[in-house]
Amino acid sequence: MKRVDLIVSERELDAVLKAIDQAGSPGYTVMKHVTGKGPHGSVSEAMDFSGLGANAHVVVFCEPPVVDKLREGLAPLLNYYGGVAYVSDAQPL
Amino acid sequence: MDSSLVLQNLLTPPVLFFFLGVVAVLVGSDLEIPAPLPKLFSLYLLLAIGFKGGLELQHSGISGPVVPTIAAAIAMSLAVPLYSFVVLRVKLDSFNAAAVAATYGSISAVTFITAESFLDTQNIHHDGFMVAALALMESPAIIIGLLLVKLAAGQKRPDEGPMRWGAVLHEAFLNGSVYLLVGSLVIGFLTAANSPHSLEKMLPFTDKLFYGALSFFLLDMGIVAAQRLRDLRRAGTFLIGFSVLMPLFNAMLGIAIARALGLSPGDALLFMVLCASASYIAVPAAMRMTVPEANPSYYISTALGLTFPFNIIVGIPLYMALVNRFIPTAG
Repeated sequence: MKRVDLIVSERELDAVLKAIDQAGSPGYTVMKHVTGKGPHGSVSEAMDFSGLGANAHVVVFCEPPVVDKLREGLAPLLNYYGGVAYVSDAQPL
Repeated sequence: MDSSLVLQNLLTPPVLFFFLGVVAVLVGSDLEIPAPLPKLFSLYLLLAIGFKGGLELQHSGISGPVVPTIAAAIAMSLAVPLYSFVVLRVKLDSFNAAAVAATYGSISAVTFITAESFLDTQNIHHDGFMVAALALMESPAIIIGLLLVKLAAGQKRPDEGPMRWGAVLHEAFLNGSVYLLVGSLVIGFLTAANSPHSLEKMLPFTDKLFYGALSFFLLDMGIVAAQRLRDLRRAGTFLIGFSVLMPLFNAMLGIAIARALGLSPGDALLFMVLCASASYIAVPAAMRMTVPEANPSYYISTALGLTFPFNIIVGIPLYMALVNRFIPTAG
């Protein structure tokens, strides 16, 4: 089992979730209103009124073949809009 | 410039609340407004200004200076990004120059609303059709910004990824703020024409709450603008100079056009404000989608951290003084 962590802008969240669905992931968890600091400075909710919200943290647990499809579907989005994605091993309880 | 105009503008609740927000950040107060509230107030302001504009447009009718003024407003929103881009390319790459240029070609609805409030405190008449000009100036600059990127940086951009023209046009014309503003304008127009008795039921919401909501929203804008001041240092002296001088230049063009169109003093001020303001609601979101290579701290910080405060504190009374000097009053 693998765990994929994605930090993307809330603005691109719909496109990211669509790519995760298309990769055949069994599900995902989304945490919105994620703030912090990125290459262009701090990320906050201050510009939420303009549609430029904070970031979202998406967590996906899936089998290794799905990770390959996720990589294929998400790479263009991450290359175009930016964001980070990491894969790690996960052990079920 | 008449100093009393500056004072009358500075001592209005919306501008004072804006200062209160700025000072809160500068002195390190923990004043914070939860994120959904500014969004709610911004939507409210767009709804109210659109609705009121629709009513007044129905009363004044679509004749006289209405069509030429709206056409001139759209022409300005197409022209401003083009010459801004030429200036910005002196120091910025194509992506950043196009994004900042689009920001200055579009408009700031809140600056417009603050200018309307200023005119109301001065008892100076202004027409509802200016709201239509406001609504129609939001989108063209987004399209021009993207065309500039395509033309100037096309070869450097082999992988446009998920960016498609359909999505860009959708973003330009159907983004939330433009959609709500235009929709409210149409609803106001239809209500005034067909259901005047409903107006009284709407007025407590769209009229009586308006000034307080504007003041509250400007309190938040003061906080956000002050937070952006740090980013301005990163933008550099060229962009700082641009964000003050370009609005002044655009305002000068605006007053020349207003005079040629024979606009009343109130409408001339609003036209100048439309030309001089920069978008920090519709355009940044669109630029993020269409030109992600551009640095948002350039186009947001200049529009919100400098041009917006400049216009509401200094610009509006300065433009009014110019209107008083160069625009003849009727009769």
